[in-house]
Amino acid sequence: MKKGNLTVGIFALLLLLFPLVVRSSYYQHLLIIIFIWVIIGSSWNLLAGYAGQVSFGHAIFFGVGAYTAGILVTKLGVSAWWGMLLGGFIAMAVALFVGWVCFRLRGPYFALATLAGGEIFRLIAINWESLTEGMVGILIIPTFKSKLPYYYLSFGLAAACILAIHLIMRSKWGYYFVSIREDQDAAESMGINTNRYKNIALLVSAFFTGLAGAFYMNYMGFIDPDVVFSLHYISIMAILVGIVGGVATIMGPAVGAVVMVGLQETFRSSFFGLAPQWVSEGHAIVFGLLVIFVIMFMANGIVGDWNKISRLFWRRKAVRT
Amino acid sequence: MKKSLMLWGLLLALSFFLVGGSQPVQASGTIKVGIVLPLTGKMAKFGEMEKQSFEMALAEINAAGGINGKKLELLIEDTTGRPEVGRSVAEKLITKDKVVMIGGGYSSSVTYAVAGVCQQNQVPFLVNTGSADKITSSGWDYIYRLNPPVSKYASAVESLLTEVIKPKTVAILHENSLFGSKGAKSFAKLCKKFGYQVVLNEGYENGGIDYKPVLIKVKQKNPDIIYMISYVMDASLLMKQAKELKLTPKMFIGGAAGFTMPEFRENAGKASEKVISATLWHQILPFPGAMDYYKKFKQRFHKDVDYHGAEAYSACYVIADVLKRTKSLKNTDIKAALAATDMMTVFGPVKFTTWGKLKNQNKANTYVVQWIDGKLELVWPAKLATKPLVYPVDWLQTWGY
Repeated sequence: MKKGNLTVGIFALLLLLFPLVVRSSYYQHLLIIIFIWVIIGSSWNLLAGYAGQVSFGHAIFFGVGAYTAGILVTKLGVSAWWGMLLGGFIAMAVALFVGWVCFRLRGPYFALATLAGGEIFRLIAINWESLTEGMVGILIIPTFKSKLPYYYLSFGLAAACILAIHLIMRSKWGYYFVSIREDQDAAESMGINTNRYKNIALLVSAFFTGLAGAFYMNYMGFIDPDVVFSLHYISIMAILVGIVGGVATIMGPAVGAVVMVGLQETFRSSFFGLAPQWVSEGHAIVFGLLVIFVIMFMANGIVGDWNKISRLFWRRKAVRT
Repeated sequence: MKKSLMLWGLLLALSFFLVGGSQPVQASGTIKVGIVLPLTGKMAKFGEMEKQSFEMALAEINAAGGINGKKLELLIEDTTGRPEVGRSVAEKLITKDKVVMIGGGYSSSVTYAVAGVCQQNQVPFLVNTGSADKITSSGWDYIYRLNPPVSKYASAVESLLTEVIKPKTVAILHENSLFGSKGAKSFAKLCKKFGYQVVLNEGYENGGIDYKPVLIKVKQKNPDIIYMISYVMDASLLMKQAKELKLTPKMFIGGAAGFTMPEFRENAGKASEKVISATLWHQILPFPGAMDYYKKFKQRFHKDVDYHGAEAYSACYVIADVLKRTKSLKNTDIKAALAATDMMTVFGPVKFTTWGKLKNQNKANTYVVQWIDGKLELVWPAKLATKPLVYPVDWLQTWGY
């Protein structure tokens, strides 16, 4: 455990120093995108990985957070930074409603219900033009020209999110979550109010995802329903980040975010211009192959199956700690 | 053990990024311009056409001596049609590749995101397709636009309606993205202005396969004209299914985009016949080089090209012209050169002015074309027409019932 702490500490320090060493705003931008995905992936992981409630609708909370910040500017003339404060809480309020509807269902039915929920929110955002501006989207001019404030803010949020989940999973709540995942009926018979704890997991998850959404609005300066309520690019991507990195591991989603964003950018830019252009057109296929590979050979993700991977590369029998 | 290995792996990955970042960028003797286009994803078809046109123009410009002896280099990057990726692309082009200006910009939402980055970094951006009005009405002084904004797409249709068709009732169908809903709104406004009653104004999801429910609604309202703003696949399906339902208004009118594409003819077959569409460009327009460009493109890529290609091809010539005239490659000088642009292209005259709410916006004409015997013909304005407008149309006979 101590060694683990040291590793994490060194890594955090490196990330803190990164933007001071690497001045290119392009790399800073990529890391900011990674941090956003760390938050979304970790939040998804808390609900799906630990509490066992697989959500296909995390775009709901991301979108609500983003629109909270955006609407504050367009309708009330309040700085979108207040949205950072409010976005998480509005997402929680929405989560209460989503939980009230969806937690009546279990397993795949819950997943389908959240999937439908995401699409419903997207359609509402498209059609409620008086509030959301519809497909025209919301545009704000970002506060800072420099990327440093965004970098440190997103880093802080990602770190806080991981830490919070780490602490929760060591507390009584964490054990309740896992027991619900393993066998909801058994947990219920043990006297755990499963409905309450599922809702707690959802609320925490929604809070951080909403924060990420509000941050996205502040940072990107432009949102429309297809961007922030996207099934494909938000809800599914959240699942992929979790699965590739490692479901029900603390650092899994963080590793997943690095891999997914890194891979996408590497392929999109044809290995940063080193490979021929046609490589860039293959990024969708690479994603597909990666997911198939992970599901078939590393069902626990990169972090969860690290032993397997290290055995493969170093032919050494690693000991599970 | 495993944790330290993980650390080394991550460090390695990080250093890979750093090495990538420290590569030398500006090779001397070339001038780099970034082009942002969707080359994968739903809009790849148009993106590809624009890319090929950019490359064609680039080859011609460099063969003719480049930019005052220097070679022009285009870094064409894929936005995948998503705003945040578009933003990554713009950031990369500006900070890593150090391009002197940016061109391209296909869908409105991505163009908008890229424009934001360009304005913030004060890098000139010449938009050639992204059409939402806001792009040039946000007061951004580094953003210039070659193509007309979407609210002006219908101006030729407007005169056709008032002078020839004179409808009483109108149904509007549009795909649900920014492009479609903005276009529908401005057309509805136009109808109101001329006192046409809009009996139905409905959006649909781009990418659907069954439009019959909405078409049946249209049929019940029996409008004089049906105005549709669609991309190519939905345009073909709409017309095919309208034919199956024997939906016969006085006229089917497409609002640019899908209805002028050769693929529309291929997919819709007979159902495409006599459909008219607004368009921003056609090769038979009396602009020098328009027909040549069309023929060269067809010869080289074995397919037809439409206004998207012409916009890209012209944009490349405008970029070359600007870079030839600019005093230096400093952003403010390039901006000044852009502002002073006054040239003829295959897309028509290009001059950036400020009118209405729009800033640095080229005033381009629009036209109406009609599919006559399987060929797209320019029918409006009448004095430029290659064939007279076929109107009124007996749809059932045209469709072979």
